[in-house]
Amino acid sequence: MNPSVELQAWLLLSAALFSTGLFGVLTRKSAIGLLIAIELMVNAVNINFVAFGFARGDHTGQVIALFGIALTVAEVAVGLALAIQMSRNFRSLEIDQAQELNG
Amino acid sequence: MIAFTVTGIMLLASAVMVVTTRDLVRAVLWLAVTLVFTAIAFIQLRADMLAAIQIMLYTGGVITLMLFAVLLTWRRAEGKPQIEIIEWARGILAAGSFLALIGSAILRSDLPSGPPLSESNSALIGELFLRDSVAVEHAGATTELQGHILAFEALSVILLAAMIGAIVIARRRDAA
Amino acid sequence: MTELLPLPLVILGAPVLAFCLVALTPLRKNGLLAAQVVILLSTLSLIAACVAFFDQLGNPDLRESWTMRWMPMGGAQAEIGWLIDGTSAPMLVVVGLVALCVQVYSVGYLNHEPPHAIGRYFAWQALFVFSMQSLVLAPNLLQLFMGWELVGLCSYLLIGFWWRKPEAAKASVKAFWVTKTADGGLLLGLIVLFSLSGSFGWETGTLSTTELNLITILLLIGVMGKSAQMPLHIWLPDAMQGPTPVSALLHAATMVAAGIFLIVRAWPLFEAAPFTLDVMLWVGAITAFLGACFALVQDDIKKMLAFSTCSQLGYMLAALGAGGMAAGYFHLTTHAFFKALLFLGAGSIIHAMGTNSMKAMGGLFWSMPLTFLLFTVGSLALAGIFPFAGFYSKDMVLESLHHSHNTIPLGLLLAGVALTATYVGRSLFLVFAGRCRTPDAHPHEGPISMLAPMVVLAALTVGAGFMLFEPFYELLGQDASFHWTALGTGGLILSIGAIGFAYYTYRKGPITVFRPISELILSAPLDRAYETAWNRILLVGARGVAWVDRYIIDGAINAIGWVCTLMADRARKLQTGRADHYIGALVGGAVAIILYTVIAYSMWGGAQ
Repeated sequence: MNPSVELQAWLLLSAALFSTGLFGVLTRKSAIGLLIAIELMVNAVNINFVAFGFARGDHTGQVIALFGIALTVAEVAVGLALAIQMSRNFRSLEIDQAQELNG
Repeated sequence: MIAFTVTGIMLLASAVMVVTTRDLVRAVLWLAVTLVFTAIAFIQLRADMLAAIQIMLYTGGVITLMLFAVLLTWRRAEGKPQIEIIEWARGILAAGSFLALIGSAILRSDLPSGPPLSESNSALIGELFLRDSVAVEHAGATTELQGHILAFEALSVILLAAMIGAIVIARRRDAA
Repeated sequence: MTELLPLPLVILGAPVLAFCLVALTPLRKNGLLAAQVVILLSTLSLIAACVAFFDQLGNPDLRESWTMRWMPMGGAQAEIGWLIDGTSAPMLVVVGLVALCVQVYSVGYLNHEPPHAIGRYFAWQALFVFSMQSLVLAPNLLQLFMGWELVGLCSYLLIGFWWRKPEAAKASVKAFWVTKTADGGLLLGLIVLFSLSGSFGWETGTLSTTELNLITILLLIGVMGKSAQMPLHIWLPDAMQGPTPVSALLHAATMVAAGIFLIVRAWPLFEAAPFTLDVMLWVGAITAFLGACFALVQDDIKKMLAFSTCSQLGYMLAALGAGGMAAGYFHLTTHAFFKALLFLGAGSIIHAMGTNSMKAMGGLFWSMPLTFLLFTVGSLALAGIFPFAGFYSKDMVLESLHHSHNTIPLGLLLAGVALTATYVGRSLFLVFAGRCRTPDAHPHEGPISMLAPMVVLAALTVGAGFMLFEPFYELLGQDASFHWTALGTGGLILSIGAIGFAYYTYRKGPITVFRPISELILSAPLDRAYETAWNRILLVGARGVAWVDRYIIDGAINAIGWVCTLMADRARKLQTGRADHYIGALVGGAVAIILYTVIAYSMWGGAQ
């Protein structure tokens, strides 16, 4: 298959995945649901990087994606800790309950 | 080609399931499926090591974390049967327009059309992380590749910070 | 000696040192010690001034100047420093000498005051000497203005010495206020001068006659205030609320002469401004005449002398207006001596009698013979009797008017001469002749601290005329010879006749036909006119300006603040605190940016 077409296909796939994640972010009401959707987005981005690396013929894309994975894991850990704390304080995970920093 | 199509469809399907289920546990499990399919996509893109790491870290670690979190937190009965159409419509509008935008950008742009990656070289990736620069022989010519050891070390610091941060944040605050 | 230590540094430095010592240390609580410090340092300053003067006499073209740039103003500089030349040298001596005499006199005059009050008084005396000398030594009009303002301040402080007395407090404010109003004109003149010629010097440079007229008229306004010319003379009679030595120093000899000195100093500017010269001539002549009229009807001895000063300053101004710069300046010098003498003598009388009212005095010839002698010397000088100094200077004044063919002003001045001699005679007879009209008063001579300065001044009054005439005129580079003219002789006869007339009225009682005039003069219509102007025009105008300031200017600022607060209030509603709102905004923003990039890329092509 023509490499650039293949690349385009992969990019579109990752874009679709990203949009799905975006939809989830905008729709979800619980904090953990938000994190899950963000996971999707990050995955899409990783696929994007690897696809580019593949098309260019070097390993740079994979290296970046690897960094991304590591950072995402860290982010998830912290995010979940926040969610747990939030659930203790607000007695609910719904993000529209956490309005105190408004005004 | 077929592999790509199948992988793609499965990936998208499971992703849609992730964002549409009401139940959080179900969502996490669908996420696991999505992550596995992502790994398969990686393999198709000649990123073997990455696929392995994806499965280990993500499917293994992150999912576990999320399951724990979901099960540990307050869950009132997710008894909200009514699906807020407006919310969904807004979401679809936003995500859809985003997709259209990016898609059009992708379709218009000049993409590199050089020779794609032929094989996955995990050792090379490892060396790239651990060294300042790596010499690679390719058809007689030696090229110097940029090493990423500094970023690697920084990453370890970040992970440490994240770990400590997570512990601090999630502590029980009531003075014992 | 001048190479070792610049003389001006001593002339200026000694008084300022005295001021700092007395004002800033506990020295001021010990009146006598403070007085001694000030007098000592004033003597030092006087010696330096005399040395400078004699240097100048020996070499009339000598010009010693030093300036330093103290305020950089893009391009032109504002400088301070000093300038000793033929014009400033005599004034230095005059100021220093009269100041020293007055200070010594004050020790005796104020000996009933509490020590801290005396300390305060001498601190301000020192400040005054410094200010006045810095005015005299000014190398440009800017420093002159600074000295000008400072002496105005000292006048305020010293007039209000007995500030617990309401009249004194009001008088000091009035003096300050009137001179400050006039100083507005002076400042305006300085500004115009600077903007037109780029410096504060008194060389005409490339200024046109119209510009010079404008500048000098504005400067003249300041002069009229400071030198108490009509109609800005109103503060001078009230200034008599201050102690008599203050009246002698500031309001007879030096401060009020500062205005005349300014004109002399900036003579190149005035010389070339014919319109201003005419104004000066007329204002001076009218003031000379009216001042003498007012002096004639006063009962208070100090007020009489105040109006007399006013009148004599008019003579100086008229002489300057007629082009006789040397005549005016010389009259300033002799006037300083004899008027200070008269004031000190009046002080001696007041100190002895306890009252200012001449109607309550009389027969002091028998009880205070020395004061009588000294006071008479001063009076005769004032009346222009030969051979006292006043005769010479007044003669030169009349001559300069005659030379420039100004008949009406000359007539006014001559009438003034007659009136001057009349009130001089009147005061002499009222105070010294006959028997004392206050039965239980026991007047006696003052202490030596009061008499000695008067003797010094009397000696100068007698001698300055024929001795100093020549050197003075030489210093100013003018023809230095005195001629007996018809005008001079006529004036002398007129004066003697007027004194005789005064004696006649003294013996036979006042001539009642003049009473309505004196009533009119005494009713002070001018003060009332000023008060109306103040209330109606000035206050209303000030209130209008205040309204604009409060509602329009401040209103604009407040409106800006109000708008900011309003917008901020609206804007903070954006912070809902809800994470999903924020995410939505994030996505929206990202979409917008990408959209823009895509469109820009496709429209203009290439990397943007």
